[in-house]
Amino acid sequence: MREPFRDWESREPESGRVNGQRDPLAGKIPVTLVTGFLGSGKTTMISKLVRHPEMRRVAVVINEIGEIGIDHDLVTMSSENITLLANGCICCSVRTDLQETLRDLFARRRAGEIADFDRVVVETTGLADPAPVVQTLVSDSLLAAQYRLDGVVTLVDALLGMSQIARQPEAVKQLALADRIFITKSDMATPEDIAALAAAIAAINRGAKVSTIVHGEVEPGALMNLGLASARASQATLSFLGETLAPASHAAVDAAGGPAGRYLGTRAAAHDPLIKTLSLRFDKPFTWASLSAALELLATLRGPDLLRIKGIVNVEEKPVVVQGVQHIFYPPVALDRWPSADTGTRLVFITRNIEADLIRNLLKAVGEVAGPA
Amino acid sequence: MLKTLNPAARADQTLAHNMKLLAHHELAGFGGLGEGISMQLTGDGRRILWLAHESAPKNFSGLDVTDPGNPKLIVQTDLPHMKLRSNSLDVVGDMMAVAYQATTVGIKPAGVDLFDVSTPEKPKLISHFDCSGPYSRGVHALWFVDGKTIHMSSGAPDFQPRNPLDDQFYRILDVSNPSKPVEAGRWWYPGTREGDSTPPPARLPARFDTGFRTHNTNVFPERPDRAFVGYIDGGALVLDISDMGNIKVVSKWNHSPPFNGFTHTVLPLFERGLWIVSDECVQDAGADWPKLVWVVDARNEANPVPIGTFPAPPYDAFAKRGGRFGAHNLHENLPGPTSFRSDTIIIGTFFNAGVRVYDTSNPYQVEEIAYFVPGAPKLSPAGAIQLNDVYVDERRIVYTVDRFTGGLYILELTI
Repeated sequence: MREPFRDWESREPESGRVNGQRDPLAGKIPVTLVTGFLGSGKTTMISKLVRHPEMRRVAVVINEIGEIGIDHDLVTMSSENITLLANGCICCSVRTDLQETLRDLFARRRAGEIADFDRVVVETTGLADPAPVVQTLVSDSLLAAQYRLDGVVTLVDALLGMSQIARQPEAVKQLALADRIFITKSDMATPEDIAALAAAIAAINRGAKVSTIVHGEVEPGALMNLGLASARASQATLSFLGETLAPASHAAVDAAGGPAGRYLGTRAAAHDPLIKTLSLRFDKPFTWASLSAALELLATLRGPDLLRIKGIVNVEEKPVVVQGVQHIFYPPVALDRWPSADTGTRLVFITRNIEADLIRNLLKAVGEVAGPA
Repeated sequence: MLKTLNPAARADQTLAHNMKLLAHHELAGFGGLGEGISMQLTGDGRRILWLAHESAPKNFSGLDVTDPGNPKLIVQTDLPHMKLRSNSLDVVGDMMAVAYQATTVGIKPAGVDLFDVSTPEKPKLISHFDCSGPYSRGVHALWFVDGKTIHMSSGAPDFQPRNPLDDQFYRILDVSNPSKPVEAGRWWYPGTREGDSTPPPARLPARFDTGFRTHNTNVFPERPDRAFVGYIDGGALVLDISDMGNIKVVSKWNHSPPFNGFTHTVLPLFERGLWIVSDECVQDAGADWPKLVWVVDARNEANPVPIGTFPAPPYDAFAKRGGRFGAHNLHENLPGPTSFRSDTIIIGTFFNAGVRVYDTSNPYQVEEIAYFVPGAPKLSPAGAIQLNDVYVDERRIVYTVDRFTGGLYILELTI
């Protein structure tokens, strides 16, 4: 539905001065990574997804086009590794590696060889640690200029998930990095099993929204708009921080049996007590120097244990969004204004064997050493 | 195997990247629009978008775009006869200047009309300034942003060009008394007027010879002493107009030859010492390709140096899509209160390749950040969209028009 025109009038006027600037995020193509352990139902979900009418102008990168069994009737055009479906969805199989495939997709779109797309969904391989894929998107200069990570979607098997979390560090990492988690095959598990799995997930990643899906049936919208899409602040801006800091809700936390309060500090994990979500708040503004020095120090010394960081930081009174995976940080995004009245720094860390106090003390100490702005 | 997987090569496909269509208006069946788009803020708080038609029978149209998703045609006027076009217009406050160009020399009326549009539904003619003559087709384009002066590409009754293609030159009108405009200055390319002591300029090869005459003549409040002129085959010129009775050339840059002429717009980015210079594509099916947008380093105005071009839309997808394919008008950072202004973001129209948005933050490596290519308008003789001109308001709403039948497309820019 069309927005009422009053929205246009409320925008910051840009006349009278030369200040029309580009939003650093909005021009980039969002990428959703779909991860999940072997057998978690990724292929089932992707094969349903590509047939969905809302997948027009979405490029889906999969390991093998053959895997998802597309009827010839559905194929509009096809080349060696790219197939255009009747609904406008572009299916692309990985040729050499993902980095090369994403570069190739962009270059061929730019050259007018393949259909336009507004979004990419990538199916990662089952055993994959998603962190290097995330890091590639941030550190490859061509990819970073054209794409942005929208979010990580992780699938977990309702029956086997618990044992995978207990035994497979990759499965835990896939959950720790997720912005959105789907419990699959929930029709084959008891409500008690699902509740226990949700609790285990919440113990690892308190921020991601968790829901159940059956036979891979999912609305495309559930995989999209998970991350920060614009440097222009709005009511939606803070949603990228996930459930932990969002004002309402928390099925996941509730399922874990605890109170759904904000800024809880730490929550012990049931299966890997070392991995946990830390929510930290700082009321004193940071300087650019102290913030970057502190985060660099943390990443240098404990990068492998710093699974995910995201938050909004008060840097010299201005709002800056910070995100990172292990030792790699995304370029910080300065918002045009605070999205709400709260101007405090709010950071969510998912860490392995790092306590909240350690990070709190480090940031405080570096701030003191750096001195005032 | 099919050569291309890109439906973009098909003219019926609408393409979009970071731009969203809010509304499309076909102008009551008269959707062929020229190079004049201007926005008026009325006393009662409405926004009226004024559009010049590309050719007869219509003169100009006014649309209420206060709600950009729901434009309403409030006035549409007719030309006195079919051998006239009102290709260009500008509005300052409640005064609108409209340019009239005839199909051949010697036809009247040809010149400039000034209208009082304080009641936009009923434009009232204030005065007509006659530019017709035995060698003149009248006025092709005008620039009117200060309420006192019109800078224009015009012929004159007393001007006989050596080559008929060179009939329009730079003229300045003083309209501080709107009921009695008077010429305040003029400059023509040396050697183009009969009787000039300078020899005539060397012409481009016949198939690209489009004339040594002015197109856009822009003067900004930042530099009231400079006119930024696209002189078609004469290239980009900057003129010192501090003494309008004695105009002097301060900068001259021309990419043609070896390129194929038709310099259209010279848009200065003052704080960065850059010019953005657009060509105009004037031939169908890529026959005069490449028609580009150039980045020129003009920190030293005596020595402008081209440092790059905007990444052009892909030739393979567009050249044969129908009609013209290449650069044309830019949004010109107009000084009024309802104009988007940016030192880095440049928006232009590219005929069948639609409207495109570029980030020039790195002038050596300009990035395309958004575009919108409407599907072919109904009954278009080109068989494809031919976006001709663009205006962006301070709300980042983009107004772009088709040259033949498509009318007005209103877009939201989401960059």
